[in-house]
Amino acid sequence: MVSARRSEALGEEMELHLAEKAADLEADGMTADRARAEARRRFGNVGLKHEESREIWMTRFFSELGQDVRYGGRTMAANKAFSALAILTLALGIGANTAIYSLMESILLRSLPVAEPESLVVLNWRSQPPQNASKQWVHVVHGVQGIFWPGDKGTLVSGMFPYGAFETLGETLREDNPVFSALFGYFNGRNKTLAIRGQATSVGAEYVTGEYFRGLAASPAAGRLISSEDDHPGAAPVAVISFATSQNRFGGPPNAIGQSILVDNVPFTVIGVVPPEFFGVDPAAAPDLYLPLHTNVLLDGARAARLYSDGNFYWIEMMGRLRPGVSMAQAQAALAPRFHQWVGATASTEGERANLPALMLNPGSEGLGSLRRQYSKPLYVLLAMVGLILVITCANIANLLLARAAARRREMAVRLSLGAGRLRIVRQLLTESVMLASLGGAFGVLFAIWGVRSLTFLLSHGQENFTLHAELNWKVLAVTAALSVVCGLLLGLAPALQSTRPDVMHALKNGRGGVPHHRHVQHVLVVAQIAISFLILVAAGLFVRTLGKLHSVQLGYARENILLFSLNARQAGHRDPEITTFYTELRKRLESIPGVSSATLSQSSIISAGHAGKAYRGTMKIGAVTVEGAGVMVAGPRFLTTMQIPILTGREIEDRDQAGSMPVAVISERLARTYFGNDSPVGRRITFVDEKLDLEIVGVSANLRYGGLKDGGSSMIVFTAASQSSPDLVTYALRTAGDPLSYVRSVHEVVRSADSRMPVTNVVTQAAEIDRTINRELTFAKLCTGFAVLALLIAWVGLYGTMSYNVARQAGEIGIRMALGAQRDAVVWMVLRRVLILAAMGLAIGVPAALSASQLVKSFLFETQPNDPGTLALAGVVLLSAAILAGYAPARRASRIDPLAALRNE
Amino acid sequence: MGRKPQKNDSLPGSLDMLILRTLSRRDLHGYGILQFIQQSSDNELLVEEGSLYPALQRLELNDWIEGVWGVTSNNRRARIYKITAAGRKRLAVETRKYAKLTLAIARVMGAE
Repeated sequence: MVSARRSEALGEEMELHLAEKAADLEADGMTADRARAEARRRFGNVGLKHEESREIWMTRFFSELGQDVRYGGRTMAANKAFSALAILTLALGIGANTAIYSLMESILLRSLPVAEPESLVVLNWRSQPPQNASKQWVHVVHGVQGIFWPGDKGTLVSGMFPYGAFETLGETLREDNPVFSALFGYFNGRNKTLAIRGQATSVGAEYVTGEYFRGLAASPAAGRLISSEDDHPGAAPVAVISFATSQNRFGGPPNAIGQSILVDNVPFTVIGVVPPEFFGVDPAAAPDLYLPLHTNVLLDGARAARLYSDGNFYWIEMMGRLRPGVSMAQAQAALAPRFHQWVGATASTEGERANLPALMLNPGSEGLGSLRRQYSKPLYVLLAMVGLILVITCANIANLLLARAAARRREMAVRLSLGAGRLRIVRQLLTESVMLASLGGAFGVLFAIWGVRSLTFLLSHGQENFTLHAELNWKVLAVTAALSVVCGLLLGLAPALQSTRPDVMHALKNGRGGVPHHRHVQHVLVVAQIAISFLILVAAGLFVRTLGKLHSVQLGYARENILLFSLNARQAGHRDPEITTFYTELRKRLESIPGVSSATLSQSSIISAGHAGKAYRGTMKIGAVTVEGAGVMVAGPRFLTTMQIPILTGREIEDRDQAGSMPVAVISERLARTYFGNDSPVGRRITFVDEKLDLEIVGVSANLRYGGLKDGGSSMIVFTAASQSSPDLVTYALRTAGDPLSYVRSVHEVVRSADSRMPVTNVVTQAAEIDRTINRELTFAKLCTGFAVLALLIAWVGLYGTMSYNVARQAGEIGIRMALGAQRDAVVWMVLRRVLILAAMGLAIGVPAALSASQLVKSFLFETQPNDPGTLALAGVVLLSAAILAGYAPARRASRIDPLAALRNE
Repeated sequence: MGRKPQKNDSLPGSLDMLILRTLSRRDLHGYGILQFIQQSSDNELLVEEGSLYPALQRLELNDWIEGVWGVTSNNRRARIYKITAAGRKRLAVETRKYAKLTLAIARVMGAE
């Protein structure tokens, strides 16, 4: 700090003074000691004098700051249009950065809202991929309920464990010097039907072990939380509910305690409510219902009971809390051998023993990583884009400030010659630019509030219980404030240094000023803006093209005028075989809604087929030939008609296909051609080996895309009758006249009259259901198009401003040229040529930069090469047109300069 | 030493003027300025020594004087002050004001 240096210098001066005085007194005959004392006495209070000096500096500093701020305010008010433009563009730039950053902060950086989150660790394991060279599954993991994700060096990572592993690791807590103070497990209970006082809704549920809440150190908002006594087979079924549910359904946490609720038609007692900020361990999901782990036997049936003893089925997730003083590495070193020993005993073949999962611990302070894995890369890409936009914005304003600084050279020169310090003037100019940036930042925060909301909306598109807790907290605001100040300093520095260059006399003599060096800085800034805009244009182009490619994927079925919704009869208390009749009756009633031309049901929508779990497992055979790569679609009557899939031969599945009648199948054309050649498959058989089930093929449909748009999508499909396999969860599809969403009310009425306890979930149009599978691409395309427009606009303003300024500055020169006979066209061309040279330089930098940067977004593209020549060319053409447009008006103005008037001013 | 020199508190602000005047003759460090004032006033004016330094700071912040690090006659590092162009103007103003003031006082005193 300047003031610290000053203070030190002052101290040294005073010391010197005292020493010299003492020396003089000593020379007059005093003893050395007396001389020193006398010198001090005559000097007075050293500390006080020091303090007085400091006061002088501080008062001075603040009074100057006040002057600068007032002066800056006046300058801003005097250039209202300029200031408004600068503040507006900065607000957009800073606001976009704040919005993206606050999303990042909430997804990537924030800790779980529990006590001491840093001592939490997540337990994962990794191993080599389970398939061997001949694509056979050789691994101790025989079944898994959850996901794998790729780790380093081609490994596979997962957070799922068998229950036995949880018990084994849990035993270490009862030994001497355990590494954990708590170990708890949980698994996603997915959607359950929660009925409270006869009102049923579908809510997210989490199964948790008895140590879960103690391990997370959560305290209840009311009642008590699940403890070890609640979590064992045969315990009284209890539940903990979310704060929001207690408010919406019981009118407040205390009212909920002791109330009886039905979860999938099984009675539970509410014992507690979690605090409002608590959302469990996964920031991506906020369960409304927490159930003791062992209650899954009551809810999920006999299969659930078998999970506990199956050492090869991976389903439970675990977190531990480190004991104070134990590091994560120590804990891993202590637990990994235990897990290794346990998992080794579950291997039954040599192959399985060769590739055992290895335990590894990861930091758990931020909860599970699913959101982070899903969004971290897209967010970094977006952050890079908004960062670049802010750079353009700053370059642009710096440019305008440079132009203005040139106009103010006279003013500055006068002040310099009157003895103002150069530093003082630099400081004053910086104060002005920081004021601009701070105002920009303040408005940027407003823009960011709106931005965060719409971004959350865009990202959540179609996800029912999307729980992103993004908000502008003090951390984000501090970053915004810092960003604004840095921007202010950056964009003010060049003009400030420029306008205080010491060639005062030159500036005083020549009012218009402007040294060649000055123009270079401006040109560098313009070229940078063009290059960066090009980058953003290319990115936008690539994402829009990707979206176009996705939209042009041939579906083979109707996208418009279809309403979808899901029901789960088993969760509402229905049992076989009545479920089938219920669904069949409901379909007929839905079809009778006026305006609905046909209604059908299936196990899932076609776009999400393959995700919903298969009704049939194992291999399919036609005769002795195994069918490879075919998808199964469990569908109800009139499915092909409703989805407008042409029937090529035979018939589709109809009402006459009942549980007791001959099992039937309809196959797609591609499957028929592959396995039957040109023969008609109607009347032939297809066999599900594991189910020992023979289906008679009754028809052939045209090809359609089974599954998502991106993941290859097979067109080999076997449709089986829903009434012959009775799935629990079904998705109804209605073909409607006009907007499908206008039928939602009728659907609710029909379902309520059939069963008032059954919640209707996932109500969505087919088009929206399809779009939701390409949500990321949609979001990117929309955001990047917005960014590109913004960048182009800012760069355009920058170019226009620079050219206008140059023309004004060169009015004299142009006047002389015209007086010497230059044609107006030649003048227009002179200005335009300069614009084109700048644009060409920008492109020369932008093209290679775009080529390498676009590799980074390769994984977001679909059937589009990152160096797509069409996109690059289009971006180049757009940019050049914008440049010509920006240059044309100043060029026209230049050509209209009156030589006489211009020369008179010279 | 003998009699006690008179303390300079009769004319507030005159210390600045004295410093500027001293520096207009030659560049000096703090102690040197003090010695010069005392010697040239025949020890009539005794500046409170400590007050010199806040005054120097104030003058420097107003860009009337400028301090640079240099070396004293007996080879010690010291801040040597010199008067600036603005400082000379200031001195001229102060001198005129002072002349007017002393003249006015003299008239009053001589009026009897």
